[in-house]
Amino acid sequence: MMVVRTYSFLSLCAISFFAILFQSALAETEKPKQNEFDFATDIRPLLSDGCFSCHGPDEQHREADLRLDLKETAFGSHDGHALIVPGKPLESLLYLKMIASDESDRMPPADSGKKLTPSEIEKIRNWIEAGAPWSSHWAFQAPEKAALPQVKQPQSVQNPIDAFVLEKLEQRELSFAERADRITLLRRLNLDLIGLPPRVQEVDQFLNDKHPDAYQKQVERLLASPHYGERWGRIWLDAARYADSNGYEKDAPREVWLYRDWVIDAFNQNMPYDQFVIEQIAGDLLPNATQDQQIATGFMRNSMLNEEGGIDPEEFRMAAMFDRMDTIGKSILGLTLQCGQCHTHKYDPLTQENYYQIFACINNSYEASIRGYTDEEQQQRQKLLLEIKTIEQTLKARQPDWSAQLAAWEQTVQHNQPEWTVLKLINTDSNSQRYFEQPDRSMLAQGYAPSKFTSNFETTVDAADLKAIKVELLNHPNLPAGGPGRSIEGLCALTDIKITAESVKDPKQTTSVKFSEATADFSNERQELPPKYGDQKGVRGFTGPVAYAIDGDNTTAWGIDVGPGRFNQPREAVFRAEKPFGYPEGTKLKISLVQMHGGWNSDDNQTMNLGRFRISCSTSENAKADPVPDAVRQILQIPAANRTAQQQEQVFSYWRTTVPEWNPENAQIEALWQQHPRGATQLVYQERPAPRETHLLDRGDFLKQKQVVQPGVPDFLNSLPQETAVDRLTFARWLVDRKSPTTARAIVNRVWQAYFGRGIVSTSEDLGSQGEAPSHRKLLDWMSVWFMDQGWDLKKLHTLIVSSRTYQQSSKVSPELYALDPYNRLFARGPRYRVDAELVRDIALQAGGLLNPEVGGPSVYPPAPAFLFEKPASYGPKTWEVANENDRFRRAIYTFRFRSVPYPVLQAFDAPNGDISTVKRTRSNTPLQALATLNETLFMECANGLAETALAEKELSDEQRIVTAFRRCVSRPPSATEKQLLTRFLTKQRGYFADHLEEARQISVTKKTTETSTADFAAWVALSRVLLNMDETITKE
Amino acid sequence: MKQFNHPAHPIARRWFLQQCGIGAGAIAVQQMLQESGYAAPAETAALQDPLAPRQPHHAPKAKNIIFLFMGGGPSHLELFDHKPVLGKFDGKLPPEELLKGYRAAFIDPNSQFLGPKFKFSKHGECGAELSELLPHLAEVVDEIAIIKSMKTDAFNHAPAQIQALTGSQLFGKPSLGAWTIYGLGSESKNLPGFVVFSSGNKGPSGGSSCWGSGFLPTVHQGVMFRGGQEPVLYLQNPPGVSGQLQRDSLDTLKALNQNHLEQIGDPEIATRINSFEMAYRMQSSAPDVMDITQETKQTLELYGAEPGKTSFANNCLLARRLVERGVRCIQLFHESWDQHGGLVSGLKSNCQATDQASAALLKDLKQRGLLEDTLVVWGGEFGRTPMVQGGNDGRDHHPNAFTMWLAGGGIKGGTTIGRSDDFGFNVIEDEVPVYDLHATILHLLGLDPERLSFRFQGLDQRLIGVNHAKVVEKILA
Repeated sequence: MMVVRTYSFLSLCAISFFAILFQSALAETEKPKQNEFDFATDIRPLLSDGCFSCHGPDEQHREADLRLDLKETAFGSHDGHALIVPGKPLESLLYLKMIASDESDRMPPADSGKKLTPSEIEKIRNWIEAGAPWSSHWAFQAPEKAALPQVKQPQSVQNPIDAFVLEKLEQRELSFAERADRITLLRRLNLDLIGLPPRVQEVDQFLNDKHPDAYQKQVERLLASPHYGERWGRIWLDAARYADSNGYEKDAPREVWLYRDWVIDAFNQNMPYDQFVIEQIAGDLLPNATQDQQIATGFMRNSMLNEEGGIDPEEFRMAAMFDRMDTIGKSILGLTLQCGQCHTHKYDPLTQENYYQIFACINNSYEASIRGYTDEEQQQRQKLLLEIKTIEQTLKARQPDWSAQLAAWEQTVQHNQPEWTVLKLINTDSNSQRYFEQPDRSMLAQGYAPSKFTSNFETTVDAADLKAIKVELLNHPNLPAGGPGRSIEGLCALTDIKITAESVKDPKQTTSVKFSEATADFSNERQELPPKYGDQKGVRGFTGPVAYAIDGDNTTAWGIDVGPGRFNQPREAVFRAEKPFGYPEGTKLKISLVQMHGGWNSDDNQTMNLGRFRISCSTSENAKADPVPDAVRQILQIPAANRTAQQQEQVFSYWRTTVPEWNPENAQIEALWQQHPRGATQLVYQERPAPRETHLLDRGDFLKQKQVVQPGVPDFLNSLPQETAVDRLTFARWLVDRKSPTTARAIVNRVWQAYFGRGIVSTSEDLGSQGEAPSHRKLLDWMSVWFMDQGWDLKKLHTLIVSSRTYQQSSKVSPELYALDPYNRLFARGPRYRVDAELVRDIALQAGGLLNPEVGGPSVYPPAPAFLFEKPASYGPKTWEVANENDRFRRAIYTFRFRSVPYPVLQAFDAPNGDISTVKRTRSNTPLQALATLNETLFMECANGLAETALAEKELSDEQRIVTAFRRCVSRPPSATEKQLLTRFLTKQRGYFADHLEEARQISVTKKTTETSTADFAAWVALSRVLLNMDETITKE
Repeated sequence: MKQFNHPAHPIARRWFLQQCGIGAGAIAVQQMLQESGYAAPAETAALQDPLAPRQPHHAPKAKNIIFLFMGGGPSHLELFDHKPVLGKFDGKLPPEELLKGYRAAFIDPNSQFLGPKFKFSKHGECGAELSELLPHLAEVVDEIAIIKSMKTDAFNHAPAQIQALTGSQLFGKPSLGAWTIYGLGSESKNLPGFVVFSSGNKGPSGGSSCWGSGFLPTVHQGVMFRGGQEPVLYLQNPPGVSGQLQRDSLDTLKALNQNHLEQIGDPEIATRINSFEMAYRMQSSAPDVMDITQETKQTLELYGAEPGKTSFANNCLLARRLVERGVRCIQLFHESWDQHGGLVSGLKSNCQATDQASAALLKDLKQRGLLEDTLVVWGGEFGRTPMVQGGNDGRDHHPNAFTMWLAGGGIKGGTTIGRSDDFGFNVIEDEVPVYDLHATILHLLGLDPERLSFRFQGLDQRLIGVNHAKVVEKILA
């Protein structure tokens, strides 16, 4: 039995002494028995690593026509020699090749870069000797719940986890470390479950709670905290590669926080993990999908989006698709799919065809944007809509024959529109903003969106006496909130429309068309654009009546801003020419749409461009814009008797606006609309009506399409249900099918990783053949099955883990134990490591008493050096308006994340920037981190805040105050030595600042208290700064 | 060990032990592990200082690299690749077969040819042809190797820059600099091993991923420096924190952390103590290295550097100062070469901003004996079309053929390799794909591009990807 005792590292500085100690420790430890191995975790990985790259699933790179990843072929023969003869390594070609003395004959070949060590080859020999038991890769077999191991110290087993862990410890004659003390344990539990340290009074309460359930009560309390969703949501957001900007060159901000809040909410409500996955992959396809279920598909849309000029949007949609595949592989399946993009996987049985089968399952969506509302906004909205409905009911009640009147009105509008000929437009500009013709001949603008420009189109028409032109602004799922414009709200502004008519026969004959009248179904009142659309001097354009579109004035434009709740509707304008135009032998129309109402910075969502539009011409006299909305027109096509009640309501809602005697009520309703919440846009997945064909792509090149591939899944995993069409929803359900061998293991492993710093499978991104073997396979499998049995209940999983003796161990480590198990893979001690980037900030905010605990909402902008967001540090100037008191102190999960300019404090502490899915952060320990916590603005404010709290209570001694401040950082009280060190520091600084008042004033940036002198306060700030920078403060012990 | 194995360098280990004083925990344990042969090497790799200098795979020709990255896509046709024939075809449409399968970013590929806008002449003993825009480079042309046959896959900025600097158009891969530090470690004790500067009109299109660490440990990512008093973020003490208070604070902090280390035993605490001490040293060493007023008037004039300004010239000079202090990898971004229009004036001002300083860097490195240890690379993400964009003063992005140059450690100066066709459209001799350039750079730094790998997602990932990259032997000394 190894002595587990804590040694002082100071006293052990001499390496030789260390070595002696270690040797003796080794002597006391018996090595595990030689013949105990598990093919799946001990042998298969060796074969995989050494052999499969040339003798594995990939046909194109297979050497000697030999395949060793399948049992049938591995036990076959090669050139008449048996590859594996169970029991007889010296007759097995596989083994003989590995030990061949002739280097040119030896496998794996020296030039392959692969190498098996003598001990690895020995393992293979032992395995063959033992009869060469074979099984497929462990993670591709469904997990099973093993019987709990019998252990020698059953009294240490608090729950099944402990039995599995202890079994391995006992094999090495180890046992659990002592239990962590209560304070350490409570702080650990707090950081793990909610990502914030306990408050001092919470620690005291727990210490005073002598009830046997005291710990369990804390677990329940923390799991019920809304901060639980923030802590665990953030971990998922890494996997979901969440960021608040598009990435690539422009890296414009995007609104996706509704998805972030959906994740936090889902955790807080303990949504079963299978449902959690289904909604993110295919929430929109669920029956009667709610707004939240649509928002959940934001997961699919967290891919980057290239909007630089001159791109082919399809090329980058494909890049996003590859990213989605990678993300689903890593985050849900725990498998590497990426290889299949270009070639058949070399190690796992995933063919390139398989890859594109999965691809086909998710390849039929719009890159859509919807408007979403928070819960409060939804309530407000419901209330409003109800009030409107009530007024409409009153109107109907007051006018019993309304139905007949409406019918009469319908008659009057049924055929009152002129004939329009839709023009086929050809864009004649360079590919700055790209236009895609839609089946109805409308143009959809995609890609880079310049903010001030003119787009030019040509078309030819037969008619010679054209009298009017109609511009329809239309919706499309790919536009912000569905459009019709490309502004962040889906709005647009038409500065001017200019048309030249040219004779087809004689291009020298041209007419510049002069318009005499403009009508629209809606124009907003004259209004100045919001500040973000200003030029660099802050001068902004105006939108207003549609006549602004023919006034030749670049500062005025036709505006369609009807206000929140109704932004995203199709609109139309009709421009009547002063004189008929056109040429008898055919007319070429050159149409310029002037769009000068964007802001100065086209990299910052300041566009006001038209998103989708259609242009028509007419020879009719007196053509005017149709005031009846498209949606109502469509309903009018349906005989009244066949309409649904809702359709009829919709017709009524429009019609009432045309009834003059209802003006007061109409005005009342309009006023109500003005109270409608704005909502926020959210990128989502939305199924297209007609399926998109998926092709296998040669080397992943989107231009090199090969055969068409149908939706499907690889057969080494669970199979799809038989009688269902394979769509995205079926695929989503397949991912979380109970029979999926990797899905539950992948998430359980990552939850474990979050607690212990390392997964049971350390390569949590890859449970496949090339991943590391699990350290405790039975434990992982047991928990995975249990987790599914419990209804994929994450809170139950957390409860299980934190209730284990394994989790509750002290994290102190002796040199011997450290030497034996530096990464704590045996779990002979509790986890100890520096907390995640966000928590580093959150701990300081909480300790400093500054934390704003508000959950959810738009991302915020804490202090950051301004130059980072300007040229030449950033490609384009970015908006970063440093938040005031409230938002400045929000938890770091809410910090706005630009992909190309990551928030520096978070980046320093290894937060990923969201370029790709990350399921395992690295954890570095660098000078840049030290500089950040020592010197950064907000950390200094936290030091001020901590000083403030230390001084808050009157009549306390320095020592008492030091204890308070210390406990706010690390929960435990300081030792005598620590108190002494800190008191000495405080006294010295007090003296110093008394002589250096200017410095004292400077360091006390946010001093509020008037009870304390500035010099004294400054000394406390200096002390607080030290406390916030202690290793222990940012470490989970 | 499955990944590239880099045993800790003995000197680094000694340094670590001396520097960290108390912070010997991880090192001592690691030593013990190695001596006992107990733990697998994979376990020890991360325990040692991840930035400790490491043995290269073979004797390196260069210790350091300075990459002058000309973001935007400089026109090879106006700078290096003289095409008199293109001049004759000015205003004519390109032959149909040339455009087969060709995609352009902005223009209709079937646009008229635009003849070269500047004169070329021969320079140096090697007689390399250079544009009149590059008079200073002409003076050192015998030091450089010009590759006129570069080729890339992407024709949009961000993907092409990411490819040029990480080997892949898809984000998430480590940058060349990160790979270099991963392979060789850092020689500098008080400064980061990989430093980045940006000048020009704007930041690089690829953003911070151009110097990111991808799936490598984050310590390998580049650190953005800038001119002025605070070259590194949060380097300066906050207002009211004097040098003395900073030292007092760190002493108390160290005592507290040491005290805790004794209680807990986690060597990570020792590393933390070290990090704070290195941060403290960096607080004085970084401003010092950035202070170019320490340079002589002649040196400043050589570069055209002016203290207090943010310029490519200043950054070149700073690169030299960093190399002197053991910074392994320096990447200068100068993003301003995207001449869709204003080709003539844009190139003139770009060359005014960069030509003298680039040449000065070579001269200065040479006179100080540093050039033989330092690889200097100049180039952007792609070239520009021989076809016109807009009126007659612009060119679109062009990936099929472009020019880069290298100089310094291991490079055969006065060499020109590769040829493009008469229009500078396609490479017709010695094609150098981006991954071959990467292989060459790694090779010169003493790293085997095949062996320099990192296990991620079940694969031994490499800078050169799965490509069979070749070292460009013709430019090697």
